[in-house]
Amino acid sequence: MSDKKSDTILNDLPKATSSILNIETGRRQFLLGAGASAGALAFGLPRPARAQSRTEITFASAKFFGKETISDVVNAYNESQSKVHVTYVELPPPSASTEVHQALVQQLARRTGTPDVFTQDVVWIAEFAGAGWALPLDQYFNADTQKQYFPGTIAACTFGGKLTALPWFVDSGMLFYRKDLLEGAGAKVPETWDELATAAAEIQKSGKAKFGYLWQGKQAEVLVCDAVEVISSNGGSILSPDGKTGVLNDAKSVEAVQFLYDTINKTKISPADVLSWDEEPSRRPFTAGQAAFLRNWSYVYGIAQDKKESQVVDKVGVAPLPHFAGGKSSACLGGYQYGVNAATKNPEAAIDFLTWMSSAETQLRYALQLGIAPTRPDVYEDAKLGAEQPFMKQLKSVFTGATPRPVTPTYAQVTLAIQSGVSRALVTGKVKEELDAANDRITKIVG
Amino acid sequence: MSTHSISPTAGPFTGAGLWPASWTPILLLVPVFVSLATVSVYPIINGFWLSFTNTSLALQQADFVGFENYVSMWGDPLFWNAWYHTVYFTLVSTLLETILGLGMALLLYEPFTGRSIVRAAMLVPWAMPTVVTSKMFGWLFDGQHGLVNYLFRSVGLISENVNWYGSVDNALGTIIIADVWKTAPFMALLILAGLQTVPKSLIEAAHMDGTNAWQTFWHVRLPLLLPTMLIAGLFRALDAFRVFDLVYVLTGGGPADSTEVLSTLSYKTMFSTLQFGYGSALSTAMFITEALLALGFGFFIVRQMRRQG
Repeated sequence: MSDKKSDTILNDLPKATSSILNIETGRRQFLLGAGASAGALAFGLPRPARAQSRTEITFASAKFFGKETISDVVNAYNESQSKVHVTYVELPPPSASTEVHQALVQQLARRTGTPDVFTQDVVWIAEFAGAGWALPLDQYFNADTQKQYFPGTIAACTFGGKLTALPWFVDSGMLFYRKDLLEGAGAKVPETWDELATAAAEIQKSGKAKFGYLWQGKQAEVLVCDAVEVISSNGGSILSPDGKTGVLNDAKSVEAVQFLYDTINKTKISPADVLSWDEEPSRRPFTAGQAAFLRNWSYVYGIAQDKKESQVVDKVGVAPLPHFAGGKSSACLGGYQYGVNAATKNPEAAIDFLTWMSSAETQLRYALQLGIAPTRPDVYEDAKLGAEQPFMKQLKSVFTGATPRPVTPTYAQVTLAIQSGVSRALVTGKVKEELDAANDRITKIVG
Repeated sequence: MSTHSISPTAGPFTGAGLWPASWTPILLLVPVFVSLATVSVYPIINGFWLSFTNTSLALQQADFVGFENYVSMWGDPLFWNAWYHTVYFTLVSTLLETILGLGMALLLYEPFTGRSIVRAAMLVPWAMPTVVTSKMFGWLFDGQHGLVNYLFRSVGLISENVNWYGSVDNALGTIIIADVWKTAPFMALLILAGLQTVPKSLIEAAHMDGTNAWQTFWHVRLPLLLPTMLIAGLFRALDAFRVFDLVYVLTGGGPADSTEVLSTLSYKTMFSTLQFGYGSALSTAMFITEALLALGFGFFIVRQMRRQG
């Protein structure tokens, strides 16, 4: 359902160890807490007065970790002030996004006000807002505040003209290229798809790389991302601006999907295997030094620079994805965003927590400690970020052009229709015909 | 439940005289009935009920809509696409597994040194978790780096790499190969058990009459094995009909829906889009198809058995 690899950025070994450590401390804390409360029960003591005077709220989020965990960050908030106490409820990691989604839907649908604050994949925002589960946030975060975030993330957090989520972190599709191969071919970093196809074909012909361009054509969520990127880089889109009809069979969309088909069948810069590849299968040949270009998420960079896994250390560059002549580069927006439960009994406390969590300082902390990219462009200017995460700093230009996937409460159904339709178009080559059929189904779903 | 056979000597009333003896066994059966009803009967009935509603967690609706789900399912090309793939998968994989299983069973029936080790080793694929098998076949049949392509190329069977999972023509076939590898041993085991029930005297008699090996197999062993094979085939077919993990791990239903089966489709509908109403209609359709399949098989088996007396 989501860009499941957006979390892999965090998954290298030392970090995994820190998570194990965290489980340990978690258990210890639990035992201590259990012991204390058992003691309190036995002696009939009241609970600590300090906790009672504070407003208690809960925060549910998928599990992310790095040098710190989300739990550490939440504790930092609890220690930073004395009015609100937040209990963190850990959900499965984003790679199990179907389970995270189910857990959230089940809790929100009860409308009991728990969890008060939650984090959500960017593609669920409209669904939760459409169901009336998400508290509109415009009155707390006005237009000026909203301008402090990347425009694409605010667009993704807006449903029906209302801000119903607040950006947390961002990831997006981007173009990885081999600096050495491009130099050898005397080509510059491609800005249009034509330039990419030409450079890729040339490098492939010279025999320096087996594959020109690798992308993800597996019938899965990532295919929707790849499709959104080419389509909007041609000025097209999947839904009409009012979100009531599909426009996937527009001439611009057809031309864009035709380009993907051609990479396999006409320009032959991509192997037919991309049709069964998602993120990792497409990443492996690239970091093994077999490909000139790769479309993928930011996590690839960490692997490409890891001497144990990669043949291309220090040879990889990152750029915004190319666009069609007359279009603008577009990157599929991923990442998780904050939401407030519409049924919360403590909206003030929730907003206070949210303001702190989404502040520039906390975003910097997330970037440094958990390796997840800020949604505030200003944070990228921070000297410490530049020193510790030089790669993340480069991504500012990529994230500036990040485009949300179709914003609709029925996204879960729409995405299956897009996956099926685009996959059929890519396999059969009857692009217009298949997109027509898919578009009919999409219009039926959203109409 | 024949309650008459239990304690025939006891009178109709025991103890205080308020409790009829014939009630005791019923009382003892109550826990079983209750647990079966909760974990099996209730979910099935509730599934039926859900299939007549438009229940959707995401849209917060749960109204009775009559046959609407079934009508839209009847006109849903994705459903028929998945239905066809499921039936095709079931028939082809069951047939291949039965034939291969029979071959394996015949081999393993003959005495040779190390037979017991081979018999045990044969079961390894079947004992492996399907997700592991799926991942393994994913690597073996990888279009670029897969061992299968490498071997085929080395011996000159193919001139260039075959795109096993990325092409609509090969994907379902490749999944069937993985399934056959995994489950043929199970069939072999069942058929081997059947072979051991064929009386040796019949085989000896056939030899005395001067039959060769093929004739012994065709006229003596096979007819006696048939009921076993049919029952094994029925088990296997019902199991194959629910195929999920292989498809989900290897292709996710793609490319171009060419490997979508009923299980993956109803999983996506229920748990990804949270449309429990429509998803339940899909599951019910699955249930009905499977029941028809079982009925057909069962009918055939009974007829076979009757003919043999």
